[in-house]
Amino acid sequence: MSWVAQVRAPVQRKLLVAFLLITLLFIAMGAFSLFTIREMSRQSELLDRAHQRLERAQEIHHSLAMQMHLTAMALLVRDEAAVASVLRENNRFNEALAQLEAAVEDPERVVIQKVRAGQEEAMVIVADIANLVRDGKIAAATQLHASREDPLYRSIDARVAEMVQRENAGMVSLRDGLRAAQQRSLVVMASFAAISVLLALGGGFVISWALIRPVYAAHGLLNELAGGRFGGTVTVPNRDELGELAARLSATSRELARLDAEQRCAAQELGALNAKLEQASKAKSEFLANMSHELRTPLNAILGFTEMLSDGLYGPVPPQYKEPLADIQTNGRHLLRLINDVLDLSKIEAGRMELAMEEYSAQEVVGMVRASLRSLAEEKGLDFKVEVDPGLPEVLRGDAKRIMQCLLNLAGNALKFTKRGGVTIRAARDGDCVRYSVSDTGIGIPTDQLAEVFAEFRQVDATVTREFGGTGLGLSITKKFVEMHGGRIWVESRLNEGSAFHFTIPLRSEIASTV
Amino acid sequence: MSQKTILYVEDNEFNRKIIRQLLAQTSYRLREAHDGESGVRAAQDELPDLILMDVQLPKMSGLEATQRLRADPRTAAVPIIIITSYAMDGDAQKANDAGATAYLAKPYSPRHLLAKIREIVPEA
Repeated sequence: MSWVAQVRAPVQRKLLVAFLLITLLFIAMGAFSLFTIREMSRQSELLDRAHQRLERAQEIHHSLAMQMHLTAMALLVRDEAAVASVLRENNRFNEALAQLEAAVEDPERVVIQKVRAGQEEAMVIVADIANLVRDGKIAAATQLHASREDPLYRSIDARVAEMVQRENAGMVSLRDGLRAAQQRSLVVMASFAAISVLLALGGGFVISWALIRPVYAAHGLLNELAGGRFGGTVTVPNRDELGELAARLSATSRELARLDAEQRCAAQELGALNAKLEQASKAKSEFLANMSHELRTPLNAILGFTEMLSDGLYGPVPPQYKEPLADIQTNGRHLLRLINDVLDLSKIEAGRMELAMEEYSAQEVVGMVRASLRSLAEEKGLDFKVEVDPGLPEVLRGDAKRIMQCLLNLAGNALKFTKRGGVTIRAARDGDCVRYSVSDTGIGIPTDQLAEVFAEFRQVDATVTREFGGTGLGLSITKKFVEMHGGRIWVESRLNEGSAFHFTIPLRSEIASTV
Repeated sequence: MSQKTILYVEDNEFNRKIIRQLLAQTSYRLREAHDGESGVRAAQDELPDLILMDVQLPKMSGLEATQRLRADPRTAAVPIIIITSYAMDGDAQKANDAGATAYLAKPYSPRHLLAKIREIVPEA
């Protein structure tokens, strides 16, 4: 059946051809029916004519019998008038004979002419008989009738009877032929119809199968593709649109398989790379942790000895040593802060910093920040206030230690950069968040540098670092802690008027993920 | 009251020197150990009144040594102050889990350490 599929033609043309073939079949059947009907009517016309001929022949037969009868009657009643009746009957005879002659074929005409010749002879004899009867010579007339007329009539009658029989036989055979022809055409029509139906069904089946099979095959492949099994192909014998479709589908599947393999390969490579990176990152973090320990151990000794020296553990401290000793301590602590900040930042960046989410009170956190920095503010003669909005929930969620670290960074900076005026820490509700703000009346930040304040090791300029100290990492770490909480941080500032840093922590803060 | 003994387990010579000089001014008697293993042994040989335990030690970590001492009925009750590097998250928790009495982050102030020692084991 695949030969239909293999035909190199569009599906539409195939369908058109199929329908055209079926239509032609039905037209042929119609033509055959018309032909049969015409043939039938011709045959029945023939039958009609045969019937008429038979009637004429029977009429002639009858007329002949009448003539014989009337002649016999004329002889019996010895009446010339009776003979006239014979002549009238003769007319009827002739008329029927002429009609019959017109209706028959040539061979039969010869017989009719013989009948006519006989009849004419008989009429001459009848005329003689009529004369004899008029003259009263009955015996002679009877003699004539018996010797001439009667045998003549009998021979004509025999011929006519034969003719009647022949016409009858012809008609019977014609009728039989007609019946047979009817039977035959019925059989032919029925077979024709049956064959047409079979052909139409068969053609429909073949064509629809040629269309449906590739659809099924494509369906199967699409199922495979949908199930994630790429690379299968469909092979169909079709050389039409469906064949093209199947070829495209196979190409798509192969392409998908190739992409899939490529993607798997890439994923594997990425996985391996990721594992390597993770390992590297872990190694880096471990290195930093070890490093910070190694750095901190001698620093611990430096700070320890310095403190004991300052405390007079080794004897009274000469006044001129006091300042350098204090400088050693200040710088030692600064180095410690740097080490801690670098460690924090590297842990955040390695994704190894985790928040310890707990319930805390903003009042407490802000209070502790104030307590830690109060002495610094007092030393510089600055106003240092904290304000907590009474509308703020008593219990908040977050990593209190880290939030405190953020506020210490911001407030520490604010105190550092402010020479006159003061610093204020506020905590207030801001939608679904708590907003912490640290504002000062300090030197401010130029507008073009506002965007960079949260970058690592960025202070407005190097001289600021020298004058005010600080690691340059505090804001960067603060930003990361805020983002880890799912909050955001921003700054507003006017040069020489002051700055305000704000950050938000969602009230229902869950760990947002590592930054 | 007899003299109180303090066992200091620390591998760094300068840190040991600080404590040695700090305690020289007091009535405390100082014993020293240089690693976790010898620290545990020293405590078991002669029961001290207080142990100062560094975390990062050779041979056996200070946390493990603390656990050993807590597991030994003879030393289970001796107060232990764990001294560790700051910044290592969860160090306080780890020290607590190991059974430390107190926790101090480096770099510590000698003044604060002495105050802590006096708080736990008052001088004789």
